[in-house]
Parts: sequence; structure tokens; C-alpha cells
Amino acid sequence: MSARAAAPGAGSAGHAPPAGYRRAGAALAAEWIKLRSLRSMLLTPLLGTVASIGVSASAVRHNATGYSHLDAVQKAQFDPLGTNFNFVVLGILLFGALGALVATNEYGSGLIRTTLAATPQRGLVLAAKAVLAGLAAFALAVVIVFTTFFTGQAILSGAHAPHVSLGDHYVLAHLLGNVYYMTAAGLIGLFTGVLVRSAAAAITSMFGLLLVLPVLADKITPDAVTRHTVPYLPLNLGDEMLHHHQGLSPGPAVAGLAAWVLVLAAAAALSLRGRDA
Amino acid sequence: MIEARSLTKVYGGKAAVDGIDFQVKPGMVTGFLGPNGAGKSTTMRMILGLDRPTSGTVSIGGRRYQGQVWPLHEVGALLDARAVHPGRSAYDHLRSLAAANGIARARVDEVLEMVGLASVARKRAGGFSLGMFQRLGIAGALLGDPGTLLFDEPVNGLDPEGISWIRTFMRSLAAEGRTVLVSSHLMSEMALTADHLLVIGRGRMIADMPLSELMARDSGGRVEVRSADPQRMAADLRAAGAQVTLEPDGTLGVAGLGSRQIGELAAERGHVLYQLRDVTASLEEAYFRLTGESVEYRAAVPVAS
Amino acid sequence: MSAQAGTVPHRGIRLDSRLRATARSEWIKFRSVRSGPLALSATALTVVAGAWLLGDANRGSYLAASPAGQAAFDPVFTVLQAIELAQLFVGALGVLTVTGEYASGLIRGTFVATPQRAQVLAMRALVFAVVVWACCTAMSFAAFFLGQSALSPAKHAGIGDPGVLTAVSGAGLYLTLVGLLAMFIGVLVRHTPGALAALFGILIVLPVLFLSIIPGKITQNLGEYMPGQAGEQAFHQLHSGAYALGSWPGLGVLAAYVAVAAFAAFALILKRDA
Repeated sequence: MSARAAAPGAGSAGHAPPAGYRRAGAALAAEWIKLRSLRSMLLTPLLGTVASIGVSASAVRHNATGYSHLDAVQKAQFDPLGTNFNFVVLGILLFGALGALVATNEYGSGLIRTTLAATPQRGLVLAAKAVLAGLAAFALAVVIVFTTFFTGQAILSGAHAPHVSLGDHYVLAHLLGNVYYMTAAGLIGLFTGVLVRSAAAAITSMFGLLLVLPVLADKITPDAVTRHTVPYLPLNLGDEMLHHHQGLSPGPAVAGLAAWVLVLAAAAALSLRGRDA
Repeated sequence: MIEARSLTKVYGGKAAVDGIDFQVKPGMVTGFLGPNGAGKSTTMRMILGLDRPTSGTVSIGGRRYQGQVWPLHEVGALLDARAVHPGRSAYDHLRSLAAANGIARARVDEVLEMVGLASVARKRAGGFSLGMFQRLGIAGALLGDPGTLLFDEPVNGLDPEGISWIRTFMRSLAAEGRTVLVSSHLMSEMALTADHLLVIGRGRMIADMPLSELMARDSGGRVEVRSADPQRMAADLRAAGAQVTLEPDGTLGVAGLGSRQIGELAAERGHVLYQLRDVTASLEEAYFRLTGESVEYRAAVPVAS
Repeated sequence: MSAQAGTVPHRGIRLDSRLRATARSEWIKFRSVRSGPLALSATALTVVAGAWLLGDANRGSYLAASPAGQAAFDPVFTVLQAIELAQLFVGALGVLTVTGEYASGLIRGTFVATPQRAQVLAMRALVFAVVVWACCTAMSFAAFFLGQSALSPAKHAGIGDPGVLTAVSGAGLYLTLVGLLAMFIGVLVRHTPGALAALFGILIVLPVLFLSIIPGKITQNLGEYMPGQAGEQAFHQLHSGAYALGSWPGLGVLAAYVAVAAFAAFALILKRDA
């Protein structure tokens, strides 16, 4: 009898179970395979990218052709980056919804039980999903942000309107800020999905939290309560980070978005550990 | 009675069901057999009006399913036991079906009692075991006390007591004069339950005959003989025209002669017989022989014989 | 065949009793799952609590506003604005009422019990509409009174003021129509996340796109005729833009969208395999 066959847990094929770090790699690989094999997971980002580029280009084109009709005051206020990235308000909805979908698509079919049986360390499963979703969101965001930037600025320069290039002051920071913003939105969606476990509830929450609630809250004039809560909604944090209307540095806003992600992550981890599959 | 004429269903260029004709008669249990993907579920869905046939017709009691006034009073079906909203109680699930066909609340309690789910009736269906889902599905099929019953894999997930119960129940339903169509992969159960068999393969009807006929025809039945002098017995049998195999332990496997003939031959020739046994092949063997070429999804690992 | 107690003989059944049977079945289905009460509670909480918050918060800003601002102030709409958030819950409920059955496979059981599919959809929509309308109208009135009392002594409205009764009733109708739109989109898409994305896309994303992001006269006009924007005129007391005429035209536009979706839904549900 060979030593291999005698080793406990060796399995009939003689493969030894992988070491700890390999387990992490395996979990990550499993999540990636699951993700890329779903048609909706490939199609939706693709459509979202096309839509983002289209929306951004359309908005920029309108503003570019209208530039020559502006008066001196308006011309001075023209913001080439702002008009390019107005669409991000909707972009974070896409990322939030995608994150929620990645999290919840296993609960509907009961696949979550198979996943947790294959990898009983629930923290690892959640981490694998989060890493994968984060990386995928980051990659998608980079593609969207940089493509829309180059397209938009090209349109602006073609119309002889003010435009910026990558080397200009703060431009790269602004672009990376948008990437960070959308990635954070994706992760917020992911952890919310793990918390509520139902695609319907998660998607509804995303639309409510990321767009409808802030817009509604905006119409309430600031008072003691709203002054301390409304600015910390993700939409307002993102706005603050990118446009610093209050004149502060964007640092606190960046931290605020990170806080959203981390708190939801902790809540999701606790919920995944504590509940039945 | 269920009747299909040239029933065809084409999905994306491929015929899942290809011009089949059959009749499912009342008063007996008809088994519906076939490899996976042969077209059984598609046929059952067409009977129930869920899928529209590409051509051909299928009717129950002479009428299309859509033409039935209160369908659940005519036909009861168990297609997918898990097709229940997980947040709803078993009781409310059956009540919604009953209400749709004007069936009174009392009947819901009755069928729940019949299938043994009365104690968990008010619990959310999401927590049910597979066996409980099956029982719920059977209860739903029985709600309208219908004359025709369709069961797709009814014993799936049932414990032995449940399997025995459903077998007896289906036979009693048939004995009452109802039409019962059962689709199953469990050969041993089918052999005990069905009177008539429909075997489908790759969308075509392969066999449509009583169970006994199928077993006799394709069973390759043999007779096992143990006698005091196996060598002489074998020679005599061969002389009478039978094919004989001689096992090491002296048992003779005889093909071509019935046990009656062998007994009479033995008496004529003065053999002492210890054992004379008819060995009929199982339904499983007959089925494999019949559908061998029609299997679409075959495992690579050979089954130990 | 034995005749069991409680079954109904199947001769001479009239169509209307079949409709009633289907309606009864749909009502049992609606009330026997948690999502209905949950969604409607969330809606009520949002609308009513939101009304108080909005009234309270706008009281100060009204008193500080310019005369022009004060003239344009719409006390009814201001207080009922939380409907913009609440519509998400009603919409999700509408979608789930349909897509939930596709997800579990129950839709086949439903069509086996009632092969007349158009009837099933019609009765489901009817039951849903009646329940949602009753609840949402009640909560709109409650929200109105609560909000107006929070607004005073700033400009506030009484129920008898011109256009107010229309507006408050319009709020209930608006939410009902949104819910129905959601249901029919659910029939068309048959998949919960997809249908939600489609519904929220139409109600929320498109208006933001046309009104805020892409400037231009065409998009502005397009934006005002989006179902959400048009329908919201239903609970305005003061109207502007394309709807200077009133609440009913706006609601009518939304109803037209619902009708188109309904037409498509009925056509597809009859044609497709289950």
C-alpha cells in the first residue's frame, strides 16, 4: 500500500487537500468561474459600459455645441470634467445593482448551499466574493471612466470648448476618484445583497439608498438632524469627494465611502456566519 | 382517456416529441418510461396545455385542456413538487388552487389528511423536506377528485412507507375507473404498479403494450434447473432443442423450453429434479434492451453488471 | 367516480363564476405571503413619516423665501414628495407578484388550475390594484393631514381648497398605476432582477438622464413625458411645464404607458409557453 493511498483524506484520486492559502486561491477561482459563466453577468456590464459612454458623449456634445452661445459669466463657470462625468450619478446605480446581483444570484437557486458545502469557511467565501467583485468593479470602472474621459475631452476640443488632458492639475485624481466611487458602490451593493439575501430587496435598497433618498433629502432644508445625516449618504459623499463644494479636502469623503463599505462588510460577515444557508 | 395524435413539439429545430400517437385508457395504471430527454416531460406539459404542440393534437376525454371548464375536476397533475412559493403555508397553497376551481375549503382539509400533511399544514412550505413537497403535490392533484391523474416521478423522496402508500393508492385510483398516467425512472416500482407501458425514446414511441407482454417479449426468460445428474439432463434438453448453459455448481440455465415442458421431459426420462424455476428478466433489463440506442445522456463509467 | 363532499359539479358553470373563482384564488395568494404587508407597510411608513418630516423642514424655508418663491410653493406636493421613494416599494411588490411565480415554477400550477391565462393576469391585476389603491389612498390622506399640520403657520392647504382633493386622491392613483406598470413589466421580463431594473430604469433613471444629465430641449420635453414625471403631476396642486393644465393629463400619460405594457403583457402571456 503506497504512502499516498494511506494518507487520511487523500481521496480516491490520490490528491491531497490544498494548504490554507491555496484554499483562498481556490475559493477565488470558484467565484470567478461562477461569475463569468453567467450570461447576464457579462452582458450587463457590457451594456452598462456602452450606455455610460453614450450618455456621457451625448451630454458633452450638447454642452460643447452650446458653449459658444454662453455669456461671459457662464463661460467662466464651464466645467469640462463635470459635464463629462455627470453620468456617474447613474453609474453608481449600475455598479450597486451589479454588486447586489453577484451576491444574491446564488440564493434564488439554492446554489449558496453548494458553495458553502464546498467551502465551509464562510468568511473566506465572503472575502472571495468581495475581492472578485471589487476587482471586477475596479476594472470595469477604469474602462468606463477613462473611455468616457478621452471621448468627452475629444468632443470638447473638437468644438473649441475648454477641455483638459490627463496631465493637467487634479485631472488624474478626479478620474481615480470616480473609479473609487463606482467600485465602492459595487461593494456596497454586494454586502447589502448578502445582508438581505433577496435580489428584489437588494436592488430596491440600492436604488433607494444611492439615488432616491439623497435626492429627496436634498429637498429638505438643512436642520439639526439632516445636517448631520444627509451629507453622509453615499451620493453626497461622492459628490463631496469629486467636487468639494464645501471647499474642504476630499479626504474625509473618501474615508466616508470606505466606512460605508467596511461597516456593511462587517455586518454581512456576521450575518453570513450566524445564519443558516 | 388521454389521446394523442401525431403529437409533435419542435424546440429550436430539434423535435423533442416527434409525431407520437398513444391512448391512455381508464381503469389501469399506465407507466410512461423513457431515458432522460426522451420527451416525457414535454409530452406531459402538452397534455396540460402548458406548451403548445407544433403540430398534432392531444386531448383528455375528447377535449383540449383549455376547453375543460373546471380543469382540476377533470385532471389532477403532479409535475414539479417544488413549484410552491416558499413563503406560503401548505394550507394556503392548496386553498388558492381550490378556490380557482370552485372547490370548497373542507376538501383542502380532506386531501391534507389523506396525504398525511395535516399536522404541518399551516407551516411555511419553504421548510418542507422533499417527501413533504411530494405529498403536497399529490394532495394538489387530488383536490378536484379528478377522473384523470398525471404523476411525474411521484415516489421521488418518499420513504418506504410513503412509496408503498402511493403505489397502493395509484392502483386503487385506477381500480375506481380513473385514468392514471405515471412517469418514473424507478423500474422496480413501475413493475409493481403499472399495467400498461408507454416507452418513449428520442421523441418517438418505442413500445406501447401491456407490462406482461413487454416482460415476456424482451425478457429473455430462462428456466433454472437443478437435478441429480446435470450432465445427462443437459444432453436430454439439448436433444429436445433447448440452449443449455451448465454452471460450475451444476445449475442448468435453459432457454427455449418452458418450465412445464422441462418438467414433463424430466419425468419421461426419469430425472430427479431438485429445483425448477422460471427466471424472468426484470423490467429494468427489458427496458435497457428496448431503449439501448435511444439513450441520449449516457455516463462514461460503465455500470457493474 | 365517487362524488366527494365539497366539490362542485361541472355542468352549467358560467363565465362570471369562473372569474370570481380566479379572483378569489388570486386574493388568497396575495394575502398568504409576507411581501404584500411588508411592502405596503414600508410604503405607509415612508409616505406618512416623510410627510411630517417634509412639512416640518419646509416650514422654515418657506418663511424665509422670497415672494416669488412663496407663490410657487406647492404645499400638497411638498408634503407628499416621499412618494418618490415609496414608489420603489410598491413597484417591487408589483414585480414580485408576477416574477415570484416564475422563479418558483408555481406559474405552471397556476396555469394548470386556470388555463385561461388572460383571466389569471386580469384578476391578479385587479386584486392587486384594489388592495394597493385602498391602502395608498388611505395613507395619502393621512400623510396630507399630518404634513399640513406640520407646515402651518407656513402656507398650507385645507382639504377643501381648489385642486387639493384631486391631488391627494391622485397620489393613491399614481402609486396604483406604478404598481400595475411593474406587474406588466414583470410579465414581459419574467425575471426578478431584470424586471426591477427595467421598472426602476423607466421610473427613475430615464428622468434623471433626460432632465439632469443630457441637456437640450428635446431631452427636456422627453423627460417631462416619462411615466414617473408625468404621473407625479397627479399629486401637485400647482402645475407647470407641460402640465399647466392639471393633474389628470399627467395621470393620463402614465395610464397610457400602463395600457401599452398591459397590451404587450397579455399578448405575450397567451403566446408563450409557460
